[in-house]
Amino acid sequence: MPAFWHWFIAIGTVVFIIWCAWLISWSAKQGPQNVADEDLVGHKWDGDLEEWNNPAPKWWLYLYFITIIWGVGYLIAYPGLGAFEGALDWSQHNQYEAEMAAAAERYDPIYEDFAAMEFEELSRHPEANQLGASLYASYCTTCHGSDARGAAGYPNLTDDDWLWGDSEAQIVSTIANGRVAVMPALAPALGGDEGTANMVRYVRSLSGIEEADSGAASMQPMFVALCSACHMADGTGNPMLGAPNLTDDVWLYGSSSDAIMTALVHGRNGVMPAHGDLLGTNRSKILAAYVYNLSAAERQAD
Amino acid sequence: MRHDTIERSVNLMMVLIILAVSIGGLVELIPLMYSSEANEPAEGIEVYSPIRLAGRDVYVREGCYNCHSQMVRPFRSETERYGPYTTAGETVYDRPFQFGSKRTGPDLARVGGRYSDAWQRLHLQNPRALVPESTMPTYAWLEDRPVDPELLTAKLETLQFLGDPYTDEQIASAAAEVEGVSEMDALIAYLQGLGTNRRNRR
Ligand code: HEC
Ligand code: HEC
Ligand code: HEC
Repeated sequence: MPAFWHWFIAIGTVVFIIWCAWLISWSAKQGPQNVADEDLVGHKWDGDLEEWNNPAPKWWLYLYFITIIWGVGYLIAYPGLGAFEGALDWSQHNQYEAEMAAAAERYDPIYEDFAAMEFEELSRHPEANQLGASLYASYCTTCHGSDARGAAGYPNLTDDDWLWGDSEAQIVSTIANGRVAVMPALAPALGGDEGTANMVRYVRSLSGIEEADSGAASMQPMFVALCSACHMADGTGNPMLGAPNLTDDVWLYGSSSDAIMTALVHGRNGVMPAHGDLLGTNRSKILAAYVYNLSAAERQAD
Repeated sequence: MRHDTIERSVNLMMVLIILAVSIGGLVELIPLMYSSEANEPAEGIEVYSPIRLAGRDVYVREGCYNCHSQMVRPFRSETERYGPYTTAGETVYDRPFQFGSKRTGPDLARVGGRYSDAWQRLHLQNPRALVPESTMPTYAWLEDRPVDPELLTAKLETLQFLGDPYTDEQIASAAAEVEGVSEMDALIAYLQGLGTNRRNRR
């Protein structure tokens, strides 16, 4: 801002304060040409209600002056008069930085200690898990649900079935960098409505939901040709691409014929947004360990 | 008392009241109009693309600002949750700005990229499908309303007239760009761009 405006603010404010102080003290005084205290001001309401020309009550007047004194004190202590930064050297930015620095001093060592731990051990650490749970509640519930069981299109994080892999590096990367799953719309290549319907039944037969009839079975070479690049020839999926295992009973979008048909006709594009900017590396790892621990029960049962 | 003098003269009283009321505004507002911090775009801030502009107007029309602010304040509790605090230079192309003053729902200043397009769509269609306890209204019908290309072109011309750096080519191609685009698509495009100029904090 050009210097002129700093002066405009400073002078405008100071002159105005002085003027206010003058106006109040001037008007509170008895003037020679004015009517005396005992006189009536001359208004009359409801026939006989009249008003004395009394001075404003002292406490009222003092409130004005206290306000003005407060204002002057404030302008000396804090930035307000143009470019003058105030005697306390306070600024919104500095206050924020101080708040952040205090928090970093207090919490960073805790995060660092946790982040230095071995992943499996961290995932079983009760305090780290508490921290993970609160991070999860702030950032993840809107998609994966408050119970982490997900919804159609949003994976269940409490099962031991992983689209993008369950190693420390993979889970941390999922959280920090995000994931974009690309399942292309392949129906046009499947030989019309009949071919697509057959493929749906073939996919369902992979996990034994239904028996493959001859139409479905005939799609096997087509599956190898079109789908195996991502889902593998046997349909067991590929965590590098986030391509789900089609032979188990865990479904991202559902096992119904309709859901599978939609995948073939419209494709699927699941997006897990990147959270690294918000979380930072240490907290990404703590959260990853928490997520990993959510499926510990199922892992042990296996 | 001398205040009698002021109280008996309507004209004098009027002048003094106007002076008393306006000086604060003059001193606080006018200099800001000449402040580069408030007038020049912050790093990474560009004019809204035509689709996002259309989405912004849906946002304003539907009154999303009644429940959502778009200003992250400089407190740790806010920046931890939403991302870096908002600066004046980020809102230079907002006419009117969407700071808002009520947070029934979360602040949206940095919601861009926090969710997928699919999430945003489903959430606008039925917030309770994703957040069971949500009190946000449904906006499913935005899906059936196409963006009006003529109105959009006129808006872009107006903004160009007001000094926003839209190029003539941008304005000429805007109508074609929004062909077949629903208000829902435009709103999602708007939301996905919010605050993406500053994400890095760590
Ligand atoms: C380019 C890689 C790729 C190819 C080729 C591909 N898929 Fe997919 N498929 C994916 C990915 C990635 C997903 C997960 C989508 C998501 O998470 O949104 C997926 C998801 C699916 C799903 C949904 C699974 C669930 O759990 O809900 C089905 C069914 C499916 N694919 C079947 C097929 C079939 C049949 C073919 C061949 C016609 C095929 N895919 C070809 C990558 C591929
Ligand atoms: C916008 C909604 C959204 C948010 C917010 C979100 N996720 Fe996800 N997440 C997804 C989707 C969608 C997928 C599946 C991507 C795909 O289709 O392959 C996913 C996948 C994952 C996976 C991989 C699961 C697997 O089987 O490999 C993990 C782990 C995960 N998310 C954890 C988190 C954590 C932790 C958070 C909070 C920081 C979070 N997510 C926030 C939508 C979201
Ligand atoms: C009656 C108040 C209300 C109105 C009006 C409203 N919302 Fe919301 N919104 C909420 C509440 C409450 C939440 C938190 C629960 C949820 O996610 O649904 C929310 C959440 C959101 C979120 C997710 C934010 C996050 O970080 O989790 C987005 C995006 C959003 N609203 C966009 C909109 C848009 C766009 C409009 C206007 C078309 C709108 N909202 C109108 C109350 C409202």
